[in-house]
Amino acid sequence: MASDRTLPASRIRAAQPSHRLASLAPFLAILVFLALLPLWGNDYRALIGTRAAIYWILVAGLNLIVGFAGQLAIGYVALFAIGAYTASILAAGNLMTEISPALALLAAAAVGAGFGLVVGLPALRLRTFYFAMTTLGFATIVTQIALGWQSVTGGGIGLSGPSLPAPFDSAWGLYGLCVGLAVVATIMSANIAHSRFGRALIATRDAEVAAEANGISKPAVLVCVFLFAGAAAGLAGGLFATLQTYITPDAFTFDLSLLFFISVLIGGRGSILGPLLGTILLTLLPEIAAPLAAWSTFVYAGLLLVIVLAMPGGIAALLDRSNRQPLAANRAIVPNIASLGRLLGTARSAQNLTLSDVVLSFGGLRAIDGLTLSVRPGEVHGLIGPNGSGKTTTLNVISGYYRPQQGRIVLGDTDLPPGQPVGRAALGICRTFQTPRIIGAASVLENVMVGGTLSGRASFVEALLSLPRSHRDEAAIRQTARLALEVVGLGALEDVRADHLQHSELRFLEIARGLMLCPRLLLLDEPAAGLSATEILRLGTLIRAISRAGVAVLLVEHHADLIFEICDQITVLNLGRVLAHGTPAEIRVHKEVVSAYLGG
Amino acid sequence: MRISAAEPLLRVKNLHAGYGKVGILFGVDMHIMPGELVTLLGPNGAGKTTLLCAISGLLPWSEGAIDFAGHSLHRKGPRESGALGLVHVVEGHRVFTQSTVSDNLLLAGYDLPRAERMARVAAALDYFPEIAAKRHALAGALSGGQQQMLAVAQGLVRRPRLLMLDEPSAGLSPVLVDRVFGVLAQLRAAGTAVLLVEQLIEKALAVADRLYALAQGRIVLTASADEADLPARLEHAYFGQDANRSLASSSA
Amino acid sequence: MLSSILASGLAIGAIYALIGITYNTMFATSRVMSFTAGQLGMLGGVLGSMFILRLGFPLVAGLAATLLCCAAVGVATEFIAVRPVLKSLEQHLYVLSTLAFALLIQQVTAIEWSTEPQPFPRLFGIGSGIWDEKYWLPVVTCAATIGALEYLYRRTLIGRAFRAVAEDNFAARALGLPERNLRVASYALAAVVGGLAGFSGGELMLAFFANGSQLNFYGFIPVALGGLGNNRGALIGGLALGLFQQAANFMVGGIFASVAVFVLFIIVLLAAPQGLFGSTVARRV
Repeated sequence: MASDRTLPASRIRAAQPSHRLASLAPFLAILVFLALLPLWGNDYRALIGTRAAIYWILVAGLNLIVGFAGQLAIGYVALFAIGAYTASILAAGNLMTEISPALALLAAAAVGAGFGLVVGLPALRLRTFYFAMTTLGFATIVTQIALGWQSVTGGGIGLSGPSLPAPFDSAWGLYGLCVGLAVVATIMSANIAHSRFGRALIATRDAEVAAEANGISKPAVLVCVFLFAGAAAGLAGGLFATLQTYITPDAFTFDLSLLFFISVLIGGRGSILGPLLGTILLTLLPEIAAPLAAWSTFVYAGLLLVIVLAMPGGIAALLDRSNRQPLAANRAIVPNIASLGRLLGTARSAQNLTLSDVVLSFGGLRAIDGLTLSVRPGEVHGLIGPNGSGKTTTLNVISGYYRPQQGRIVLGDTDLPPGQPVGRAALGICRTFQTPRIIGAASVLENVMVGGTLSGRASFVEALLSLPRSHRDEAAIRQTARLALEVVGLGALEDVRADHLQHSELRFLEIARGLMLCPRLLLLDEPAAGLSATEILRLGTLIRAISRAGVAVLLVEHHADLIFEICDQITVLNLGRVLAHGTPAEIRVHKEVVSAYLGG
Repeated sequence: MRISAAEPLLRVKNLHAGYGKVGILFGVDMHIMPGELVTLLGPNGAGKTTLLCAISGLLPWSEGAIDFAGHSLHRKGPRESGALGLVHVVEGHRVFTQSTVSDNLLLAGYDLPRAERMARVAAALDYFPEIAAKRHALAGALSGGQQQMLAVAQGLVRRPRLLMLDEPSAGLSPVLVDRVFGVLAQLRAAGTAVLLVEQLIEKALAVADRLYALAQGRIVLTASADEADLPARLEHAYFGQDANRSLASSSA
Repeated sequence: MLSSILASGLAIGAIYALIGITYNTMFATSRVMSFTAGQLGMLGGVLGSMFILRLGFPLVAGLAATLLCCAAVGVATEFIAVRPVLKSLEQHLYVLSTLAFALLIQQVTAIEWSTEPQPFPRLFGIGSGIWDEKYWLPVVTCAATIGALEYLYRRTLIGRAFRAVAEDNFAARALGLPERNLRVASYALAAVVGGLAGFSGGELMLAFFANGSQLNFYGFIPVALGGLGNNRGALIGGLALGLFQQAANFMVGGIFASVAVFVLFIIVLLAAPQGLFGSTVARRV
């Protein structure tokens, strides 16, 4: 789809090498330090280093769930324990014939992935506190089972962990293995984070409704990361059992779960480096300050409170200097209509949107009462009416958030299935929202790239391993997103965090995100609200140009002047019904309309 | 405009307000004299509700000034402004549906001594015999129109010097609208100032002394309610803004 | 056997129900589910034991001191962990701030009090067997608390104001109700209820710091089952949970009883995320 939308060579900015090196430098520094540690370390240091590496393997996966997807999984020690027990039980042969320790570790990862899914699935239905409670409950249950299933787990007495063959049987050998696996975990989680899946996770966290409108299926991405994080946790658990050589249920307290969870939050959400530093910090803290050992959980909790109240961005925000500089105050949004052709060059076949006799009631109230409406490609269709007349509700019905009791909605000759917002983007329907729904913590460019999620072809596993198809996806999405930003006039702001933008810029950002889909139909919900007169003028020009490129545009708006200037057709709603329909000139002189719209 | 040497009861100067980054009001100036009934008109999204919320302190604002009865309302919440006699009846007859009618009214007099509270509730109910008959019913069991009356009655319990009403006619049958507007006329006769946000322009103008029209966060027209040709002037004020702008000159 | 299941099930269930009401009372005025609910129950037991056994307070003074301390903790929760995050749009922050605050309470208790269960004084010395006070005390306390709350909510102005704030915070503010003070008061009230749960259940659960997280979880289940903010649902859910748990305890043993409770909880929650008596989901768009 993006192949023949090319930019002049001068416009293509590959990720600048210096910039990439700068972001990699901290990771390399940590790696060099870890590689040199054996030179001046004793076995105790090896133990601490190994433990930190193991914890990080778990946190690297958990980070995608807590930091990226925003799911408050506070009981991840359960998966850690499951991994530890799986590896130990299989290696000891308590349940079936014993298998080699290496296989036992792999089995721990596999079992961890399975239970990762079990622990995670409630997140698809439950929110924040409820989900947190289920993971907490799960953690309690796992410990209880470990205690109770004595024939297999050894109950309170415990059992031996798997012992790996040489060279991993020495302290430094195991250290090397764990650090190596930690590096792999870091790379994999970073690959996901920087792919369309990572952006999709953040989108479901910060702008769930917009994510759906862009075709992101929350269950699909969450299931993938729950599997990955579960596998990482299971493997980490197996390695932990190896390191400890002997495990009992006491080793898997809720305090450990907190360490994992708080590492992510101290590090900062949506970052890889921050949680890595957080894990190292929390692992070392009780070691460095021995008197703190008894108070370690207290300190963790205190840190969490301080982070939440005073520094929600965590370590990552402290390290991020680039977004501290204030933006130029007098910047202007100047859309570049000329580039629109290249962006929408291969626009899909033009199609009519037709609503026939749609009825939607909330309780006894008929919000939409037999609405019939047709929006043609290449036209801007205005939808106006007093508050509560059903304008936004109409958009929500078209984009699948509400399920009408009656009537059909047809795009071309496809019936739009009612109540399925996720499928709309694939049909070429995109929309903006009355309150812009954007990811404040992500850059402007990344926000627009969320709109390109559907155009990616690489699977989750390809993204995890950063295979060539994933690279190609990323490059194409990035290039299209830059073009879309240039079209709406935000090209200069692509690296800025979106929450630093002005409100008016967010409105154009949403349009750019929508254009990523090469839409057949663009639904705009009060795009001019909060804009200055000049900005409204430019917005009008942009909307007109988009429609002239063959897109059907349905525009809900209060600004009468904008409506009358750019619409080809206007439908006036009142009490969920069509009060009038016609060209702007006809509507202007329509007596009833004037009185209903102005209130008379 | 009424010429008067008296100080205005409410004076709003260059008020800017909005939600987060979204500006809604851009430099609103208005005033209301004691005992005056002023109606605030304007198309949807003009910022009428926002203006009322800013005045009553439900919405914090930072730029501009609001003075009421000689007190600055800067950083004052609805509780403080209410104590000064500025009462805001919010739109959508938001009464407490799980409480009885009389409990709803008692809550409006939360800070009063018990005897005073009872007396005021009784007085407020005198204005609305139809809800007085249902004082022991849950407010959720009232019709929309009765809930609106209850909301107005809650405002009356607070003995306002200025009563701000946000679309009291919304969802009411014409008969009930006349009832509510009749009460407003009674109130004005008793010396209470009223600021009325209304969609029903003609009914509003019939009871009002004066009007302000708000469009896109600015006052675009102010006039006495008995001036000629107001509907046409209002239409012009709403649509004719920024007349020098043109995208497609054809439709202008 | 049946009678002892009933006695201990109702007793434990009453404690769970009271913790559920603690959750609800805090939620009503702030829309925040606070992890401190269970910790307040734990504090009721620990402080009761401390004041009466360690410091030798008489019963009434010990109870008063316990509830006073709990109320202070409740108010502190509001100021430290709730108020700063209420303004934020990010819903998840309160989960973290109250979790952190709850952990602080728990850790201080563990270190300064004891990490082992400590005895709780025998308060009246009435009854034995299944009629022992440790079984009926929580039930009586639960009934008395619910009665008192009903009186507060139905008959007093401040109680009506609580309900008004819970139903429509915006309208309550517009009406000039002191919404912020009412929220603080409701946190103090919730803390007293939680403290009563722990105090009345002290003889059953002992004064043990780890009771906090247990009560957090098992007190949440009635809320989840009964629907947020629904005290009647919490009462029914709490008693049902207590009975189910004790029955499972006797029949299949403690560990599998916990598993059974958890599995049942997850199934019900997934089937009815709003609780069995709860209302429907709010609009999103």
